[in-house]
Amino acid sequence: MNAFQAIEPDTGFVTKKLTNLYHIQAGEDSLVCTLSARLKRQSDGDPVAIGDIVRWNEARQLIEVLPRRNQLARRAAKPMPDSYAREQVIAANLDQVIPVFAAANPKPAWNLLDRYLVSAESAEIAALIVLTKFDLVERKPEAAEILSVAAEYRAIGYQVIVTSAETGLGLEQLHAALFNRLSVFVGKSGVGKSSLLNALEPGLGLKVQQTSKLTGKGRHTTTHFEMFPLETGGAIIDTPGIREFGLWGVETDNLALFFPEMRPLVGACKFGVGCSHDQEPGCAIRRAVSAGQISPYRYQSYLKLRDEQL
Amino acid sequence: MNARFTTRRTYSRSYGMRNTFGDFVCMYCHNFVSAEPTLSGVHNRNHCPYCLSSRHLDLFDAGDRLSACKARMKPVTLTLKRSTRKYARPGDSELMLVHLCEDCGKVSINRIAADDDNEQVMNLVARSLDDDLLRLLIKSGIAPVDANEAQWVRRGLFGLN
Repeated sequence: MNAFQAIEPDTGFVTKKLTNLYHIQAGEDSLVCTLSARLKRQSDGDPVAIGDIVRWNEARQLIEVLPRRNQLARRAAKPMPDSYAREQVIAANLDQVIPVFAAANPKPAWNLLDRYLVSAESAEIAALIVLTKFDLVERKPEAAEILSVAAEYRAIGYQVIVTSAETGLGLEQLHAALFNRLSVFVGKSGVGKSSLLNALEPGLGLKVQQTSKLTGKGRHTTTHFEMFPLETGGAIIDTPGIREFGLWGVETDNLALFFPEMRPLVGACKFGVGCSHDQEPGCAIRRAVSAGQISPYRYQSYLKLRDEQL
Repeated sequence: MNARFTTRRTYSRSYGMRNTFGDFVCMYCHNFVSAEPTLSGVHNRNHCPYCLSSRHLDLFDAGDRLSACKARMKPVTLTLKRSTRKYARPGDSELMLVHLCEDCGKVSINRIAADDDNEQVMNLVARSLDDDLLRLLIKSGIAPVDANEAQWVRRGLFGLN
């Protein structure tokens, strides 16, 4: 299994995370560990993320997390309204982040996609966009819009794969993109992350459910983080549905740098790098939006994220 | 670079747009403007009732707030909305303000609100338009009200025959 090789001796990969239980893969061996009190004290939240390389003691307690190559994190949901915001690491040591969006049922929320992409850019992890359930809109007018949005993101420089687990559309292309890489699927509940994994690796037999007929939303079928090795090489991390994705570790002043189409224009404004690209006269980014060189929807996402970070 | 991002999303509209429909301070005359519908008679207050200036905030549809231009839209003239009533008198249709963006030159029409300064509105009738602007308005399908039609404007504003 390529994804789990080339790590130090006496260490292993975290391949599955349940409440207080961590499944570790060390070469051919697999074991289940708990968290040591020392490691627990080091962090407010969970100090171990899926994809982490860890050490353990004889009591099968995790005692050390090795430095991460990178990590995908979000602002954790607050347990109480007035509690402090804290970081939640979704996965670590990744090769690519794969935001998964359904073409329909539930409808895609493009602003959420921009959040994932900004997080991936800030963590310097490559991103690949996957649109699922295309069979649901294939013969409907919505298909044109889905394809036009996909073209928008391709024009920015992201790879976009339109798939259908039902018809097998795009699966071959996705297989090729996953080859020898550690990838993580992120997306709202019900978009078809586990269904896509089942289609990619038919032997997995992951539990999937229809979205709710009443609300049109997913039913949170997947409730834990788990890494699945692919027969062709590489591995995918399946995650529970994420409804909210607050940015973590992204500075407001640098936000435009995480939009690849805006990056070359940062500093070209009348007020230089001090421009917030909102109201200032002579803003190069606003000019590019008006000229149709930057998507107005992406620009609105930028403004919304910027307001949130202030 | 060519203009590539000019398509509108309707099926799965992004909810990323900021809400800018509340009270505001006019950027040009600096008067406070209330967006309360009971004062203005309109639900989307989009120009200042004192100086009639607006702001270029919409791109595809009224209220979409997708424009990045955000420059001043100055009132240039008035127009009459095409009436759908079969037996309407000439000039009986709704009076509209025509705004021109000072930066990108986009033209848009807006409903006159109940609390708009009538004197300012009447001043627009007397204002002469240069040829370029007139051509732009005609190209946009807007027929500006001319001085001969001032009585219709007066009737629309004050209800006098």
